Amino acid sequence: MHVEFNGVAKTFGSKRALDIPSWILENGDVVGLVGSNGAGKTTFLRILLDLVHADRGQVLFNGKDVRRQSRWRAQTGAFLDRSFLIDYLTIPEYLDFVGATFGLTRKQTSEALEPFASFLPLSKVDRRRLIRDLSTGNAKKVGILAALFITPKLIVLDEPFANLDPPSQMHLKQILSELAADPERSMIISSHDLGHVTEVCGRITLLHAGEIQKDLQTNTDTLAQLHAWFKEEGVVSAT
Amino acid sequence: MKARQGRFVRVLVGFLLVYAALVLVTLGLFFDRFSMTLLPDVPPVEIVNQSLVAAFITLFFLRFLLQKTPRMKVVPYLHLPIQQHRLVTFFQTASLLSVHNIYPLFFFIPFWMRFVVAGDSIEGNLMWIGAIILLILSSHFANLLIRGILRRQVGLFYLLITILIGTAYIDEVAGVGLQQRMSGFMFSDLLSGSATSLVLFLAWAFFVMVASTFHLARSLSDPEGEHGEKLPDAHSFQVPDEWGILGHLVRSELLLMWRNRRPRHYLLLSIFFSTFYLVLMLSSGDVFGGVAFPALLGLFASGGFALNYGQLMFCWDAANYQALITRNIAFHTMVRAKLIVLRTSCLLLFLLSLPLFIALRPDLVALHTAFLFYNVGITSALIMELATRNKQRLDVTQGGGFFNFEGISARHMLWIIPTALPPVLFLQAMHESPDLGLTILALIGLGSLIFTEPLTRYFARGLRIRKHTMVEGFTVHAR
Repeated sequence: MHVEFNGVAKTFGSKRALDIPSWILENGDVVGLVGSNGAGKTTFLRILLDLVHADRGQVLFNGKDVRRQSRWRAQTGAFLDRSFLIDYLTIPEYLDFVGATFGLTRKQTSEALEPFASFLPLSKVDRRRLIRDLSTGNAKKVGILAALFITPKLIVLDEPFANLDPPSQMHLKQILSELAADPERSMIISSHDLGHVTEVCGRITLLHAGEIQKDLQTNTDTLAQLHAWFKEEGVVSAT
Repeated sequence: MKARQGRFVRVLVGFLLVYAALVLVTLGLFFDRFSMTLLPDVPPVEIVNQSLVAAFITLFFLRFLLQKTPRMKVVPYLHLPIQQHRLVTFFQTASLLSVHNIYPLFFFIPFWMRFVVAGDSIEGNLMWIGAIILLILSSHFANLLIRGILRRQVGLFYLLITILIGTAYIDEVAGVGLQQRMSGFMFSDLLSGSATSLVLFLAWAFFVMVASTFHLARSLSDPEGEHGEKLPDAHSFQVPDEWGILGHLVRSELLLMWRNRRPRHYLLLSIFFSTFYLVLMLSSGDVFGGVAFPALLGLFASGGFALNYGQLMFCWDAANYQALITRNIAFHTMVRAKLIVLRTSCLLLFLLSLPLFIALRPDLVALHTAFLFYNVGITSALIMELATRNKQRLDVTQGGGFFNFEGISARHMLWIIPTALPPVLFLQAMHESPDLGLTILALIGLGSLIFTEPLTRYFARGLRIRKHTMVEGFTVHAR
């Protein structure tokens, strides 16, 4: 699995949202995408998932432009926001639906969900409650679960830790770490939580005003480096 | 372009509102000419008196389907330093300015002035119009009360109203005419100067007004879903695993239309048209002569749902469109699922309305059947062409009542021309050999099914090409 951004640029009106000359995700990479509000993280992910048309450049998935073929969808699990859910379905209906998109029967879907029982215990949820009636945190758990249980080659998550309670955050970190152990799997996780993201991700891509400012391998100093950068950037922005 | 479309729709709606008001005023003023064709020996006032109970029950059913309650309007103001009872009173009063309350008066006031006031008793005349106003008020507040109580048991309401209408129908068919006699007696009694019925109407209006106001106030201090109140169960059904994602997409479409207010309204109104309303149309005998009217009746009797619901397909999915297009689902499969739903709806409405055609207008059964094939083959395809070009987000949780034209543009209004005009003109041209005309129409519809696969590919290609503009349009209000 190989993802490549080649000269991708996007502007909204007169505002430059993204300008990435080159960025590559290799097999097994677990990338944390960080940056301030409006840095271009969500636009980055939306162009990757072919939800936004880039003004120029292309995103290649295994060498093929994501706009020209759709095979990448069979290998990708993504959750950006609530619009990735079908909110008039119940949790089991939605998960069955997602399972069916990968050719799973209801029984196979149920089996595939078992390893994630600690994150969202389906035996304890109200199986007749519609997703739109769930709290923000529980709806997010359903979305993340739907992106993960099909064990895709590429996982794309936007702010997965936000709105989750502390136990769920811990469970999610554990699950993501276990999934990241598979060298055939890659992940892109956008987050404002520098602590979580440096803990889970082996590589950090820092975006600022639509451009990549830093792209570094995570080590024991990364968190401090990021804090220092954001502190400085905050001062510069304020002035 | 969008602004122009919005203006066009507003002008069209305004025109239709004025037109409807004028029709009602004219009907009220010249009711005798209308009643003379139906019951030449019965005075207009007597006809109206006998029909009032049935009319108000029917209007109540429409009101229940379409009219909103003021509850959601009050909620945003609850945090302000205004006493709750003042808010409740204000919004309850403001809710009276509803088309459901105003439009009946466009008929009743001219009718009263022309036919009722001519009577002898001044008190009786005043009590008659007073009773009409009280019935409108009662209907209004009863709707707010019943909606509040049954908001979680809508199925029960439909059951009750079906029993009520069924009983009224049996009463009518069996020749008992109990509700007609009761209605006639109460209003004739009023006209003779007796206030008994008025007191009853007044007591009923007062009761539902107080009860609905009390219920609204109580529902605001005990918000839904809190204090252990149980959310409604989501009734569901399964599709066999062998049907794969296609089966799941069809199932999701059915659940979408049942679990969201606006598509559900479209569904219920289509059923309403193909049953109760169709009875009126078919019973009118040759009042509507010519070819055009029966052709339109045929088009809508089986294709009503496809035309109403289908033209907004994909907009219904606006809130979760990204959930579909980032998943491993081919556009081709999405189109297939929607075509299955549209075509099946034509078949089901055909079957639902077939007994009415057989009983009331057996001469139109052939037309009804021909239009089934035409709708399944041609109308569904035309509607899908329109639907794949939609790119405006819709709030499916809003009702589909009057004035909710969200997502409807000039294109949607004008689409009726290429959909309805060709079969009407064709049947007009074939009026000397109507059977041959209907056979050709049916064969065209049936024959077009052969092109299902290339058409599906064509629609899927359109969705692929317009993918980004659709996503942008569907998310624009969500930001």
